[in-house]
Amino acid sequence: MTELDRRQFLARTALGSAGVIAATGLGPLAAEAVAARGDVAPGERDPNFAEGKILSIDGGTLVVSSSDLLLQRIQVTSGTTFWKLHETTFDDARVDDRLYARGVPADDGTFLAERIWVNIVNLHVALVGIASDRLQLDHPGGRLVGHVVPDTVAVYSLGPPTRDLSRLRVGMHAQVVGAWHPDTDEIDIATIYS
Amino acid sequence: MACGTNLVVRGLSTWFCCGNAWGPCGATGHGACGTCNSGSHQCAWPNASDACKSITRPQDCGLSLPRETCGHTFYVTNRCNSHCVSVRVADCGPDTNSFCNQQHCCGSICGNNRVIDLTASAFSAIADLSTGIRPVRVDN
Repeated sequence: MTELDRRQFLARTALGSAGVIAATGLGPLAAEAVAARGDVAPGERDPNFAEGKILSIDGGTLVVSSSDLLLQRIQVTSGTTFWKLHETTFDDARVDDRLYARGVPADDGTFLAERIWVNIVNLHVALVGIASDRLQLDHPGGRLVGHVVPDTVAVYSLGPPTRDLSRLRVGMHAQVVGAWHPDTDEIDIATIYS
Repeated sequence: MACGTNLVVRGLSTWFCCGNAWGPCGATGHGACGTCNSGSHQCAWPNASDACKSITRPQDCGLSLPRETCGHTFYVTNRCNSHCVSVRVADCGPDTNSFCNQQHCCGSICGNNRVIDLTASAFSAIADLSTGIRPVRVDN
């Protein structure tokens, strides 16, 4: 599908109301299917990427303030997929959530989203405390509480994802993918790689 | 975007945020090169300078990575799906010696050692951000 075809397709599938996520001609975008499209010169800003804080949700449109304080309208389509700790739907998006998105810019300046990650973080941390329901994490940005939730899995070197967190030890370095609780020092842990 | 054909190293890549950013990485700043932004196709490289290498210490993991400084272009291929992105060095990292010999796989394709970090936009161009870590090939 060419860039123009994708833009036209996404524009036609733009949601008119919030909370309607349906199977479409695109189908669910599998994790590895969110791929590079179009040429972006190395080092340059990616026009197919957006980020920021959700200021308002109106039907299928998110008004987002980027970290550079630029306002952007992000249009959700019936093909848009969402991640917020796990695969979910547009219904779970909230004002003040932060997001990253991939999609295509439309001619009117709206960003037509294909994939949105809400509050996602990917942090190199050191484990400084372990309890059954939470981990204390040291990060260059400060101390964090990492909540262990039903979705939490650990991936140990050479192993598949597991719910068994018993091999984690204080002092270990780990990479944590999770969902930040906006404006706090807490995250919910999706995956901890150690 | 065509990928390079001069193999530098195979290993693992994660993603990170830099520049004006939100959440726990809000205080990250623009990286060692002063140019890093999450929305740009950039990377962190463990041997971007003497000072950088003294922190990341890839040699502790048996890696001999070439010195490539701010602005150098790498071609990074996600070995799980063969998608490629071109990036410029904009920061120092990852902290390779904290994860010596760590291995992660997608199916039968595995990578060892953290050899490069990509900005969120660059990583999302070749993989889903929720995957966190991917085996990659790095080319010049």
